[in-house]
Amino acid sequence: MSEDKYANALRATLTEVRNICPPITHSFIFTKEGKIIAEAEQDTEVSTEITLHSFQNLIEKADTIGGLNTFVVNGNKGMFQISRVNNMYLAISASKKADMTCIQSAARVIVPTILKLLENKLLENIVSTPTTSATSYQNLTTENLTGLFAGETAQVDNAVLKEWSKNLNNTHIDEIEIETPNGKTARCKVKPISEREFQGKGLIRIPEKIYRVLEVEKGEQVKVKPAVPWRER
Amino acid sequence: MSAKDKSEELLAILRLNLENVRHREGVIGYILRNSKSASVDINDSTKIVDYAMLSGESLETGDMVSEIFQLGSINSVVIEGNDLKVLSLVIEDQHVSIFMDRKVDHNKICKELDSTKHSQKRNASSIQSNEENQEQNEVEIPL
Repeated sequence: MSEDKYANALRATLTEVRNICPPITHSFIFTKEGKIIAEAEQDTEVSTEITLHSFQNLIEKADTIGGLNTFVVNGNKGMFQISRVNNMYLAISASKKADMTCIQSAARVIVPTILKLLENKLLENIVSTPTTSATSYQNLTTENLTGLFAGETAQVDNAVLKEWSKNLNNTHIDEIEIETPNGKTARCKVKPISEREFQGKGLIRIPEKIYRVLEVEKGEQVKVKPAVPWRER
Repeated sequence: MSAKDKSEELLAILRLNLENVRHREGVIGYILRNSKSASVDINDSTKIVDYAMLSGESLETGDMVSEIFQLGSINSVVIEGNDLKVLSLVIEDQHVSIFMDRKVDHNKICKELDSTKHSQKRNASSIQSNEENQEQNEVEIPL
């Protein structure tokens, strides 16, 4: 799992938490060094640059009480909370209407669990799967694949499949992994694009069923890479 | 009653409430400050500077966060570490930070101190006598 995927998965988690608890106005995860790892999609932009600098100062000064585990600001219109999650910090702001149980669940259960899972996955991949250019993602534009036999098989240019195959010691590519900008992923079978009008345009033709899994629409950019079993690499 | 008298009355009530809080189990001290002076009563005097810096930083960060995330006026700021937690409040022109063990219910203390605003009308004379009984280890620092 790449860092990009990791960030996407965290962003998707934060966005989902926000969907479950709409009074959450902003949420982001940052490191002690002041780097934002992931931020939920939000309606309004805020200057997190300034806030991060202050949080760093606060974290530094909190050493005197054994570090910063939580920081909560209660205002008459809303609240803001920073919670330490493993080696990172989760920041959530919410309006007064927010259900505190929901916020605490996100801070103490959901995000730590996802972080733990992702960190394990990241570690696993670092140990067992060195990323090579041969298996790096390729950006392709989505196109509908309809028809009676569309099934669950996507289509990409034969040239792309050949290139992947060449880079992977002529391994036959019959499965791919697709990742959306929102971090949704799907694995499916792949064939070369059969219809000439769609060839050579950097497209990936996706059947309806996979569209639903990925929650994308026609014309969106997705990242695609061959899914090759490790033993065949 | 003039604004100055009101401010002094508030300070007197706040000090009284703080004294009550101070003697609770798990509370290790407090810092009370306004633009002119500060009162510090902390068990471990070697920690006063560090605690004062943390208190100031936490209220400043609270202010900044409130402005950026539109939280309105601040009711309380709580910072919790592995060893201790700090409850900070702004009551009129007084900034208070109470340092306590993690197991102490800071919400109770918060309510108690918040009631300072409402009990300002109480007779100030009863406060004066209580003030005389304050602990000797309290340090007054002019700013």
